[in-house]
Amino acid sequence: MRPDLHCYGDGIKELADLVGDFDLRSPMDLHAWYRSEWLAIAATIGFSQELEAALAPLRAVPDRVRATQEAGLAAFASWLLAQRGGVPEAHARTQSVVLGQLITLGRERGELWRVTADPTTLASGACYRAPESVDGASAAADRDIRGAQQVRAFYPDTAAGYFGDGWSGPPPRAESACGWQTPLTLHLGTFPWVYSTRLAGPGPALLWSSTESRPAIAAFEAMTSLLDPAENLRQDARQVAAIARTFVQQTRPLVDAVPIFPPGRAKTGALYRRSGFLVAHRGSLHVAGLDGVRGRLAAPAYNFVLRRFACFFAVRRAALRALASLPEAVRRAAEGSPDPCLRQTAEEVRRGG
Amino acid sequence: MLSRNAWITLGTTLGVVGVTGGMLYLSRSASAASPLDDAEKNGPDAAPNGEDALASDKLPALPTASDVQGDLSRNWGSTPPDLRPLFLLMEETSKIVGSGRIFALIAYREARFITTAHNGDEPSESAERDGSRRAYENNKDRNPPLPYGEESADFGSGGLFGLLAPYFLWAGVPEVGKRAPFLNARPELMFEPRIAGFAAALYMHRLLKYRRIDDHADIKVGWANPSLLSKGRGGDKYQEIRTRFYEDAETLGLDLKDEATIPGPRLDSSAWPGFDAVFKGIVGVSPKELA
Repeated sequence: MRPDLHCYGDGIKELADLVGDFDLRSPMDLHAWYRSEWLAIAATIGFSQELEAALAPLRAVPDRVRATQEAGLAAFASWLLAQRGGVPEAHARTQSVVLGQLITLGRERGELWRVTADPTTLASGACYRAPESVDGASAAADRDIRGAQQVRAFYPDTAAGYFGDGWSGPPPRAESACGWQTPLTLHLGTFPWVYSTRLAGPGPALLWSSTESRPAIAAFEAMTSLLDPAENLRQDARQVAAIARTFVQQTRPLVDAVPIFPPGRAKTGALYRRSGFLVAHRGSLHVAGLDGVRGRLAAPAYNFVLRRFACFFAVRRAALRALASLPEAVRRAAEGSPDPCLRQTAEEVRRGG
Repeated sequence: MLSRNAWITLGTTLGVVGVTGGMLYLSRSASAASPLDDAEKNGPDAAPNGEDALASDKLPALPTASDVQGDLSRNWGSTPPDLRPLFLLMEETSKIVGSGRIFALIAYREARFITTAHNGDEPSESAERDGSRRAYENNKDRNPPLPYGEESADFGSGGLFGLLAPYFLWAGVPEVGKRAPFLNARPELMFEPRIAGFAAALYMHRLLKYRRIDDHADIKVGWANPSLLSKGRGGDKYQEIRTRFYEDAETLGLDLKDEATIPGPRLDSSAWPGFDAVFKGIVGVSPKELA
């Protein structure tokens, strides 16, 4: 039987189809698909030039996926270096350490896409000591919740949003020095839009950077790692499917109100739907947005997040089909996955082999 | 904030063909129509409107990273990534080094980066319409006739750089006379970002060539009203515009002292390659192809 995505529920295959199908065993497919998707990531964030420069030397490499990933990471890091730091040094340092813990935790659990943890169990309680003179957008936003000099290193994103109906508990087991009363939840799969309730403007996690520390790079790496078939298979796709369904359900009424792109008759500056995504005809997509009951949704955020879901399942589909040709360690991991859809395919491959 | 009645004239001191040069209007995006507003107003099946006399469907899409050579990452602040190539294309084509970031700053102030920003389409914006009406009435006898002159007089200002409609349509008259490319166009053509970009580059060139520009903030003063660069220099309005310019730079996250991207103390337009070259380079087609 040819493995597919039906096991993950209605609408998932259609979601994956937004970014096209490809064969992991076809070098031409790999080159075209990964290049296209990396360029889409870079265009939204703004590092297209750096990516083109990093991809240019990659002509014939044995592992196209890994080489593209490394080139993309280098390009993003180079771009980030040219940006002003978004948070104070103490903030960024804490974020770096905590993110490292969260990413490890997420990979162990197969829940890297949305990682949740008790903040009081993390390094420095996911708090940082604010400088006397608070500077930077993130710290400023946290002024009102400061406990003594301690400030939360991340936004407590637990209200109902575009990725879910809220995560109120369980509360931290220990008393938080900086006022954490809820779990720390980050949607690393949709970096830089890591918060369910913060999709109104540019990705907030792009500010995770200071002069010395750049936690945004680790989070970016986590997001893009899900394009790697082996990493993709480690993620419990049921979690991604559930979040994707919520996102689509919440955004559909907003997106359905946007006209479909009329070839040859499009109005300058207007927002349209084309091939499932939003486009601004000869205008900036970055100033467009949709207003819903769960807040404003920036048009680039909508496209980017939708594309992340689509890419995840496109890679999952390709990996399921090519499972027999993937390294044995990957196949074994798939057999022990908490994801029953993946286990079933892995079992069939094992029996077939 | 300048009076909405304020309009400006930037005549070339050389008196080319005896007409006023490009004139722009200081405007804001207070009533700028967002793309979504249009979609919501018109509904999903609404037909597009506002077709121009010039065939705007011949215009290429916005430029992208591959259309420019310069740096699209450093010192752009929160300028939308998809507009940066346009600003940089304007800089590279006009050969006014460092102007890309200044254009971004102007577009932030004038339109909040909304290409279809329109000041004058709301009942409360009568001052804006008064400005365009006055501009038209005071200058129509000195310029080539405009088939859509009355519409431009009632239009107000708009586009990415806050162009005042009649002056936008007369753009290029000092340089090429009756060959000026927008004489037969509707004022809505200024909503085309490449077209607006060309007009803005031309205006920037004129400011730098014919006016006393001491630093980057003076450009914004001249954008609002070039007379403030001479008899108004140092006055309250002059200072007010400069202060706001620096505040805008801070808000947008642009470092005006970054010599690598914005050479100081003033920009230089001495390498301007000529009207036709700049038009073709920014708009993507020649005036003939567009007509």
